[in-house]
Amino acid sequence: MKSVLVVLFLLTGLFANEALLPTELTAWKSLSFVSGAKSANELSNASLVLNNASLVGLHPTPKIQYVTRPTNEGGTVSYGGLFQITLKEKGLYRVVLANASWIDLIKDGKPAQSVAHAQGSENSGIRKMVDYNLDEGTYTLQLSAGADTKSALLVTKLK
Amino acid sequence: MIKYILTIMIYLLVAQPALQAQPALQAQSAQDSIENKAQIELGRRLFYDADLSINGTMSCATCHEQRRSFADGNQAHPGALDDPGKRNVPGLANIGQFKNLTWAHNHLSGLAEQSLMPIRGTNPVEMGMNGHEDEIRKRLGQNGCYQKLFLLAFPKEKGSIHFGTVSRALESFQKTFISNQSLYDQMMEKGTSLPTKNAQRGKKLFFGAAQCNTCHTAPLFSDDDFHQVQPREQKTTDYGLSDVTGNPKDKNVFRTPSLRNAALTSPYWHDGSAKTLIEAIQKHDLKINQTLSHQEITELVAFIDTLSDMTFVNNPKYAKPSKKCPY
Repeated sequence: MKSVLVVLFLLTGLFANEALLPTELTAWKSLSFVSGAKSANELSNASLVLNNASLVGLHPTPKIQYVTRPTNEGGTVSYGGLFQITLKEKGLYRVVLANASWIDLIKDGKPAQSVAHAQGSENSGIRKMVDYNLDEGTYTLQLSAGADTKSALLVTKLK
Repeated sequence: MIKYILTIMIYLLVAQPALQAQPALQAQSAQDSIENKAQIELGRRLFYDADLSINGTMSCATCHEQRRSFADGNQAHPGALDDPGKRNVPGLANIGQFKNLTWAHNHLSGLAEQSLMPIRGTNPVEMGMNGHEDEIRKRLGQNGCYQKLFLLAFPKEKGSIHFGTVSRALESFQKTFISNQSLYDQMMEKGTSLPTKNAQRGKKLFFGAAQCNTCHTAPLFSDDDFHQVQPREQKTTDYGLSDVTGNPKDKNVFRTPSLRNAALTSPYWHDGSAKTLIEAIQKHDLKINQTLSHQEITELVAFIDTLSDMTFVNNPKYAKPSKKCPY
């Protein structure tokens, strides 16, 4: 019960003065909690669902074993985590974040190359949006070099 | 008469190599001391270490990405605490060859002093370490590899970890950033023409009628000096060099950026307001610029493309080091 109240409290803080969001981001407002994995072994407990936003829990960087070394792996005082998501079709996808963590999307050991970056509109609670052209399959989503122990996270399909 | 002829011969012998030595961009000597090699290795690790920022979110490499010739793809990069960036991140190719550093500063003693601007600067706050030198000492000092490297790099200071040694190591690493293997360099060395007609015409324009070389002077493709070329009517809160000198004559004056690898460093201009090289060329508020046709600008861009050096952006010596300690 206490943890539910904590999550609700955090959500109220995230979207205090919410802005109008485009239709592809409407899921951004309703969050479920997912704790990030600290290594590949824990990934099955850190699954994300396409078009469902999550409030994700992150861990101190020194405790994490990333699948692939992140481009920006963060210092000893930063936070990160691993997640997995399965995509059923090829397309243009967007990863939306409430903080400025570095994002790596990895499949078969190779990080996908981002094709566009943007920031969210004012008061949207969105700090960062990164787009990728992705194939179908299961991806590991790594967040690294984050400043906080939590962040809202959404993966959505654009095209 | 003989004396006169001898004088001319001596002059020709001395002067000719100087006239031929167009590329003055040479890699550092292999005769580096153990200390200097250790400083370079240490500087490389520090360059990629986000523990140099207050919350561990930003390293130098967060903004200075090797694949972009150590520039950044954003108009301006927010700081570790999300303060908005003030200016576009400049590339670092051949940065050790410049006397003036950053977009608009003429009083910096060198790269060591410059590297402390993002680390502990407050206008804007970038890495946010102002007043946190003890934290740097604590974070790096608990890492055994750093202890060894600081000792090797700074034996006279007994491997002391502080802003001074950190910044000198960063300077040593950045001084190794030599970019002199572009298509243009290769063609110049062989004495052959650039491969496309557009690039050939662009080169002729660049060094001729368009007078680009006046400020973007080869071989650095920058004269390392300050100029006022932005539109005068432009509304701005960034007054460039005058913010440092206090001299009204320096208002809206900025350092000439190098065009080496410019094709890899978009967006352009001190505020990142030009998305493409075409926009950047058109933005120069100069009489000569107003007479350039669209075709001529395309040719100039084709020439600037030949200044891209893929060996530089793929050089493993500049890449993020392995986690394994080298010593």
